Amino acid sequence: MNELYESRILNLVIWSPMLFALLVAFLPKGEKGQIRTATFVGMLVNLWACAWAWSRFELHNADEFQLEYRMRWIDAAGISYHVGVDGLAIALVLLTGVLAPLVVLASWTYVDERVKEFHIALLVLQTAMLGALCSVDTLLFYVFFEAMLIPMYLLIGVWGAEERQMAAMKFFLYTLVGSLLMLVALLGVYFIAAPAGQRSFDYATLYNGLMAANRELSACLANNPTGPCEGLSGPAQALFTWGPWMFLAFSLAFAIKVPMWPVHTWLPDAHVQAPVAGSMVLAGVMLKMGTFGFWRFAIPLFPTAARQYQHLLALLAVIGIVYGAFMCLAQRDIKKLIAYSSVSHLGYCMLGMLAFTAEGATGSAYQMLNHGVSTGALFMLFGFLYERRHARLMSDYGGIAKVMPVFTAFFVIVTFSSIAVPGTNGFVGEFLVLLGSFKSNLPLAYSVAATTCVVFGAAYMLWMVQKVFFGKLVHQDNLGLSDLNRRETLAALPFIALIVLMGLKPQPILDVLETSTTRYLARAGYGTPDSNDDAVRVKVQPLPRPALVELAPGAPVGLEPVGQVANAQPQPRILRPRTPVPSAVQPIHPVMP
Amino acid sequence: MSPITLAVVATLAPAATALLLLVLFPLRHRGMPAAWVTLLGSAISLAASCKLLVDRIGGAADERAVVPWIEERGRAMAEIGVQLDGVSLPMLVIVGVVALCVQLFSVAYMHDEPPRAFGRYFTLHALFLFSMNVVVVAPNLLQLFAGWELVGLTSYLLIGFYFAKPSAAQAAVKAFWMTKLADMGFLFGLLVLYVNTGSFEWTAPTSTVVATWVSALLFVAVVGKSAQFPLHIWLPDAMEGPTPVSALLHAATMVAAGVFLVVRADPLFAQAPATREVMLWIGAVTAVFAAGLALVQRDIKKVLAFSTCSQLGYMVAALGAGNAFAGFFHLGTHAFFKALLFLAAGSVIHAVHSNDLGDMGGLRKRLPITTAAFVIGALSLAGVPGFAGFFSKDLVLTALEGRGGGAPWVMLLAAAFLTAFYMGRVLIKAFWGELSQKAEHAHEGGLSMTGPLVVLMIPSFASGFLGGWLAGQVKAEYHLHLGLTPVLASVMAVAGLVAAVVVFGRGGQAPGARILEKLDAWSLVDRTWATAYRLGLLGVASIAGWIDRYVIDGLMNLTGWSAIEGGASARRLQTGLVRDYALLVVVGVVVLALMGVLR
Repeated sequence: MNELYESRILNLVIWSPMLFALLVAFLPKGEKGQIRTATFVGMLVNLWACAWAWSRFELHNADEFQLEYRMRWIDAAGISYHVGVDGLAIALVLLTGVLAPLVVLASWTYVDERVKEFHIALLVLQTAMLGALCSVDTLLFYVFFEAMLIPMYLLIGVWGAEERQMAAMKFFLYTLVGSLLMLVALLGVYFIAAPAGQRSFDYATLYNGLMAANRELSACLANNPTGPCEGLSGPAQALFTWGPWMFLAFSLAFAIKVPMWPVHTWLPDAHVQAPVAGSMVLAGVMLKMGTFGFWRFAIPLFPTAARQYQHLLALLAVIGIVYGAFMCLAQRDIKKLIAYSSVSHLGYCMLGMLAFTAEGATGSAYQMLNHGVSTGALFMLFGFLYERRHARLMSDYGGIAKVMPVFTAFFVIVTFSSIAVPGTNGFVGEFLVLLGSFKSNLPLAYSVAATTCVVFGAAYMLWMVQKVFFGKLVHQDNLGLSDLNRRETLAALPFIALIVLMGLKPQPILDVLETSTTRYLARAGYGTPDSNDDAVRVKVQPLPRPALVELAPGAPVGLEPVGQVANAQPQPRILRPRTPVPSAVQPIHPVMP
Repeated sequence: MSPITLAVVATLAPAATALLLLVLFPLRHRGMPAAWVTLLGSAISLAASCKLLVDRIGGAADERAVVPWIEERGRAMAEIGVQLDGVSLPMLVIVGVVALCVQLFSVAYMHDEPPRAFGRYFTLHALFLFSMNVVVVAPNLLQLFAGWELVGLTSYLLIGFYFAKPSAAQAAVKAFWMTKLADMGFLFGLLVLYVNTGSFEWTAPTSTVVATWVSALLFVAVVGKSAQFPLHIWLPDAMEGPTPVSALLHAATMVAAGVFLVVRADPLFAQAPATREVMLWIGAVTAVFAAGLALVQRDIKKVLAFSTCSQLGYMVAALGAGNAFAGFFHLGTHAFFKALLFLAAGSVIHAVHSNDLGDMGGLRKRLPITTAAFVIGALSLAGVPGFAGFFSKDLVLTALEGRGGGAPWVMLLAAAFLTAFYMGRVLIKAFWGELSQKAEHAHEGGLSMTGPLVVLMIPSFASGFLGGWLAGQVKAEYHLHLGLTPVLASVMAVAGLVAAVVVFGRGGQAPGARILEKLDAWSLVDRTWATAYRLGLLGVASIAGWIDRYVIDGLMNLTGWSAIEGGASARRLQTGLVRDYALLVVVGVVVLALMGVLR
């Protein structure tokens, strides 16, 4: 019985916001209070589901994906509804779940027009984000990945500030270009990874299918770094020719999302124009889709190309760190400053990931969570201020600590987290990333530059805090500012608690992340003669047999609808002698181009 | 209770206080209850520390206990815990005593603050004591770093206590930046140490090269935290904070954390003679330079601030000479007498409502206890024989004999003269002479102000006699001997005081004061840093901002624009005329055919 529930937790995680979106859709337009409450309750239910999934995640389980659920979807193309989480994904799922109710609380009074549509967009966005994090089927991932764009586009474009249209369009086009390229590359992988008839978009098929080719290719490149490689098998030859391009296509898609320098310019505009909810979700979760994508797809699928481009990408990450920090020093707009600090912080994330060391990868994963918490909190707190004063420039403020002491205290604590003071979560992540990059094969200058920028972080954040909060109250308009009310305090407190808890006791989260970092590192280094196939291979979750067969196991084959059975068993290519397909039905292979 | 439990109590009692005050905000907003809770926490912490020290005198052994903080594949890569030995235990007691005195003093000193601010003040004090204790009991460099950053943080918040005052807000940020800039050295040092040894222990065996790198990097952080030339500029500005804060953080304990770090990491520094050579010179230069500037300050707190820089220079020089014990001993005595001096100065400021020496004068007639305290502190600082400062300063000077060609020794002797000279100046200007107008109605504060002064007078005078015992604790050699150095040091101290009486007793000015005043007003070091910040950081930032807006974003927009324009031009191909399409087909066929042929 337990099994029955547990295999479906992730469905609850993904689809519960959608159910509440349906509910909200039936509420009358004018009942804003009801709509907000229903959404808030929906997000709480979702948080409960996420927490349940987290509590069910087993540390000592050898399986990569846990809480798996697989269902037939489009058999003809080898697409299934396959969800499951690894250590990183479950951590990000929990983060997404925690942020959502706070987002609703933060925009309780912020949004007062088209309230119903706004909350539906939030709920749908939640489903899309959780779906992307939980997808094991790559096409399912792609669908969710794209589905995130629409609600976010609306959030920015409809409820944003003055130049929302431009910002929303920029955001949409940037991400769309990247993800279309990714789709092309994904199709490439789909065709290379398995011979016709066994093709599938399932992660296991793609990853396991490329293993032999990756090993062959990297053996060849080890002897002959620039190619040409003679006598490669078909898939390896294809990987040799197209692998770098596919890797770059994936990388571009995810780099835009992260965003890495120099494709970051959509971020400041989007953040500045977005409403508080948009900024929080964007910074809190959506940017992590980029880093998550590198971690799950771009680097493991193309380890040889990843190692080839490791230095280049790490260089871009370091440029992002330095550049983001300097950009922050040049800003007058507070929201823009926070946005550029995101560029800098995610640079640390990418640097840690590209270090290919245990400390770096763990730190990078931890930093993803940190950034969600601290930057999410910064945007939320600034949203409270913006709601009162409708001004974004630092010069519009000054001395408001006098009138808003509680707000100031919260903001300062979050600032400390953002500049990685020990005792806050930021320190753990940043320190591990720096350790990892020092230990890695990356040039020393990268690590030195990244470490140096820690102090710039302190410079720009404290500079902003000083200008906004301290000194004399110079503007008449600020005299009447009211401090945080109960709702706002309630929304801010969880962030403070997370910052301190994650800073003092990181181990429980690190343990969960470690299950995934070990695999990530093995995959990033895959292809060397001593790499172990069993450490990286994805366990295949068989596709459930069609319902009719389940119901009547002994029924004659003819009962099964022919079109559906074809290609029913997307058998991954495994390097061992092929075992016969354990299916009663002989697959009929459709012709694949 | 086991020693470890006691140490944990000593460390965490102030943390519990701070947490309690943070969570129970009505308590904090009331003001006075917050002060009592904080005092209680500090008292518990001090009691536990004292018990530990007493046990140790009774023969208890060194203790060390760690728990893993960050594990990696089951291996603890970072640990936290406590280490109790001859270095940490005396330091724990010193910090506890000074902190408790300062907090008690603050109850009266900060009395006029609104209750909320009063509560905030004490919460921050509790947080500071916790952070400082984290530094003191740290069993490895990582925990020391964590505490180090936290004391920097509380220092930032306490300097900026009067945040509505722009100069205070500025000073707070400046202090944080300067120390943070230096802390980068600490961070790099930790990273280099970990990459080479796989741990954060100062006892980890390393090669000379690694030890030199790590110690040099750590020393950069020491220069920042302990306000050594050329990163000392934040300390005088930090006097914007409330005076008791200056006494505790910016004189007695926090700034001494740099010296403490070197004493702790002695095994590393011992392997790095090159680093020690640099330390020797930087310490000596700071000692003279800051003493000279102390001579021309009009603000009584700034005199003491520069004096702190100068005395820290003594400690650093001693460490550079390879005698960690001398530095540690001077740290201990200095903590007492400098805290005493600052609190006495606070009492004066409380009485006359001004920091300016020109507003003071003849105060001994109105403030007898404060005067006694200041005199004892000044004599101890000047190094008059018999007072605590004499013994430790003598040890420092002895350690320097013959080092670096003798120049540092001469410099520190000159600084000793200057020290006595500027303290004599303050004594005469503030406490002797005619009663000034502002001092007319001055009176001593209540018991909670005079009490701490009296308590601190005792160790300020007597702690020098504990040198032999302290040396035994850290297994260092210590013996008093009557040589050239002690005699010269005593002569310098007395000569300085006599010179002060001769020069300032008649309202004169120090010879060369003009030049020093110019130097002070010109504040070359300050300006250099300001220029570096403006050009280096803000200049590059504004260029980067321009590039981002017009080059990178411009290129991206150009891509979008070319897609639109490209689409518009491609649309013209769709003429709808069959003959055009036929032409294109033909052209295409020809091109393909040519490609086939040429291949």
